[in-house]
Amino acid sequence: MSAAGREAGQPFPEDDPHAEAAMFSTLLEDSAEDLYDNAPCGYLSTLPDGQIAKVNATLLRWLGYTREDLVGRRTFSDLLTVGGRLYYETHFAPLLNMQGEIGGVALELRAADGSRLPVLVTSTVKTSADGQPRLIRTTIFDASDRRAYERELLRARQEADRERERLQRLVTTLQHSLLPSSLPKVPGLEAAAYYHIASRDEVSGDFYDLFPLSRERWGFFLGDVCGKGAGAAAMTSLIRYTLRAAAVYDPDPVTILDTLNTALHQEYRGDNPRYCTALFGILTPDGDGFAITLAGGGHPPCLLLRADGTADFQPTPDGMLIGMLADATFTATTIRLSAGDTLLLYTDGLIEAHTATTGTVDGRYGDQALHTFAVKLAPTTATETIAALAELLTGFGDGLDDDTAALALSVPAHPPADEPTTP
Amino acid sequence: MTGLTLTTRPIEHGVVLQLSGELDHHTAPRVLETLKRITLTAGQQLVVDLSRLSFCDSSGIASLVAARNHALAADATIALAALPAWLTRVFRMVGLDKVLVTYPTTQAAAAAWSRRLR
Repeated sequence: MSAAGREAGQPFPEDDPHAEAAMFSTLLEDSAEDLYDNAPCGYLSTLPDGQIAKVNATLLRWLGYTREDLVGRRTFSDLLTVGGRLYYETHFAPLLNMQGEIGGVALELRAADGSRLPVLVTSTVKTSADGQPRLIRTTIFDASDRRAYERELLRARQEADRERERLQRLVTTLQHSLLPSSLPKVPGLEAAAYYHIASRDEVSGDFYDLFPLSRERWGFFLGDVCGKGAGAAAMTSLIRYTLRAAAVYDPDPVTILDTLNTALHQEYRGDNPRYCTALFGILTPDGDGFAITLAGGGHPPCLLLRADGTADFQPTPDGMLIGMLADATFTATTIRLSAGDTLLLYTDGLIEAHTATTGTVDGRYGDQALHTFAVKLAPTTATETIAALAELLTGFGDGLDDDTAALALSVPAHPPADEPTTP
Repeated sequence: MTGLTLTTRPIEHGVVLQLSGELDHHTAPRVLETLKRITLTAGQQLVVDLSRLSFCDSSGIASLVAARNHALAADATIALAALPAWLTRVFRMVGLDKVLVTYPTTQAAAAAWSRRLR
């Protein structure tokens, strides 16, 4: 205390108790009248009918009135804005009558010049000996700082919301640029795709495509970049164009993945290496169906759902994570897609989805469950497969925490042979 | 959300990095950060102990490859210990079984390193 006194320029030696006592008594002589009038808050006393009986100088200063303007002439509710008056009459006054006090109510006062002053109001009722209300004492705090703070908070919040919307629009646009806007029509083939993005704020690292290579040949791929966000988007873009260009140059899936491996390995090295897994296939019309040459690099095997109701994984063994090693190896397999067969490619978001229903050891949707799903579905079509998959994934709800992409290709079943129709 | 716990301990001939919990998109960056702090000298061994790993996604796989690159950049070797059975299949799928040697335990990994010296 004495130290504070010295700082304020009052030279009381700290070892003199008499001097300190004198300082306190000076402070205590501060008249109650002066304290009332010049308190850092507004004071107002009103009669039970609302007439203003007493008001302090602070409140008069805030509102720009003289004592004569208010005392005996106006009611407290006259000082309020229209909305405030309504609230005062319907809520404030009845509660005050009932409880004898009410505190911390935010109201707006109207000053003499018409400006508004946001305030926090607390009132108590003074009663006579027989319990009749005699006087209402009201304390008024200037809340304009608080109101400004709240407005600032609201503005910051709205700004953040707008930024987030802008980010989401950007992400959506970027995502669309990385995926085909629609799958091309391949004669004799039905194709359908599914895409689930786990987060609206981050670009997914899953990708797929189906595109013509020549009149008689089509390329398709599906893959997954490790990671997500802007880095994954840049990488997805590189992958997509590398695969498309490589396929035109030499339509051999193994060579195409080799080319991609070289491109990624050169581009992403060092402390934060990036890789992708992918399946790349070439479709060539073959009789009533298609011959598919498929190469894989570290990707989960696709599923073949056959016309006879069976379903099997189609592994591409020994295919390495693409971009990991300078001399990675990839292998190809050939698949025949006959009438009524469906080929399903998917990313690992699917087999890694958390689920409570499949009963896998680690609570995730596994290969076995996916195989069972495929067997139940076969024989089917690309469109039906994607629809069933979408339904399955929707069922996961929040369990689907990774992005998921799926591409299905099917050859329409033979139309039922024309049975001789009897008239 | 169980997260990932990373612990490192020095051993006579290198460092053991234990990864416990879920190694995924959210936690893999922490492996990369930890790797930066692991200093290896030529000939040492980095043992990644996976005995308590409960999940590993593509980002997790990438962080294991980063661990391999980190060791090789220092002319050190890398060994994985106690690769969970469920991860073995994924390792085969992405071809990691060909570039990362695995042992049943960290002791077995150390023993293999000692044999290599003789």
